[in-house]
Amino acid sequence: MVKYVKRISPKHTVMKKEDNEILRTIARRDGITVPEGYFADFARHMADALPERPELSQMSAPAPPSGIWGKIRPYVYMAAMFAGVWCMLKMFTTVTAPGELTPMDKNPVMAEAFGNDDFIDNYVLDDVNQWDVMDQMMEDGFDPGTLDEPDSTDFEAAL
Amino acid sequence: MADYMHDDPKLVERLRHPATVRAAFGEVIALYSEPLYRQIRRMVQNHDDANDLLQNTFLKAWSNIENFRGDARLSTWLYKIAVNETLSHLERERKRRGISLDDQEAALINTIEADADIDGDALALKLRKAIATLPEKQRLVFNMRYYDDMRYDDISAILGTSVGALKASYHLAVKKIEQFFSTDD
Repeated sequence: MVKYVKRISPKHTVMKKEDNEILRTIARRDGITVPEGYFADFARHMADALPERPELSQMSAPAPPSGIWGKIRPYVYMAAMFAGVWCMLKMFTTVTAPGELTPMDKNPVMAEAFGNDDFIDNYVLDDVNQWDVMDQMMEDGFDPGTLDEPDSTDFEAAL
Repeated sequence: MADYMHDDPKLVERLRHPATVRAAFGEVIALYSEPLYRQIRRMVQNHDDANDLLQNTFLKAWSNIENFRGDARLSTWLYKIAVNETLSHLERERKRRGISLDDQEAALINTIEADADIDGDALALKLRKAIATLPEKQRLVFNMRYYDDMRYDDISAILGTSVGALKASYHLAVKKIEQFFSTDD
């Protein structure tokens, strides 16, 4: 006959506020017993009885940790993200802040260049599309007939 | 909180490697046999059924071990399997014997009274009978919280119920047990 001696009540003794007097008195004793040596025997027999699973050898092992880079990678990505956000904010501030950081104010080379008529003629005015200028003037109500210049008729013909 | 609710990261890591999975699972069996047995036994109330269900729990876990990738806690995963096995067993028993939930409750109380595997603690025995009168889910919550001293978060992960609902369920269970003791005196 099996001898039941192993008492398996939990060891916890700290009671909670939510427990009533009865539960505090019983102190988590469940009174359940098991045959002597049951758990050790169970663990041994159970481990032996586990069916073979050759397919587990195909189970992909998790990727090995990639050292220091693997550990710091999330932080580096986060730092890069914040740096990117900072750069964007800086750029917007530069573009939108009135009277600040305009090229002419802050860049003496640019200021000197724009003060030079040759530079304006060669590098700025040449890039202006004269058709666009005339287009805009016409939209603004400009009347080509008021011009004395003969070129204006050429412009009208070209339209 | 019970120690077995904390996973050993090295053991979990070994469960994920083909070369070490079998040996690691042997350690899992040794580690979790007692808490899982106790949990099952408090629901089915007899040793032989608890022993069978514990075996089934580990067999099921072993046959699905490749699905355990460490996303959930090992303890939570094993408890979930054990709880499902237990509830399925109780339902099968009801169908096999053609009895209702209430009849099963009475049968459980009879089983507790006839249980040879108890240590003669009258008050503890009476509490087991009081717990047997609770609805199944409430019984599970009470057992995990009271006997196993589990955190509500852990019970919530196992049973898939909100912490608030679990607290309410435990509170109700305590009230019912109190009532059982007062009427049974």
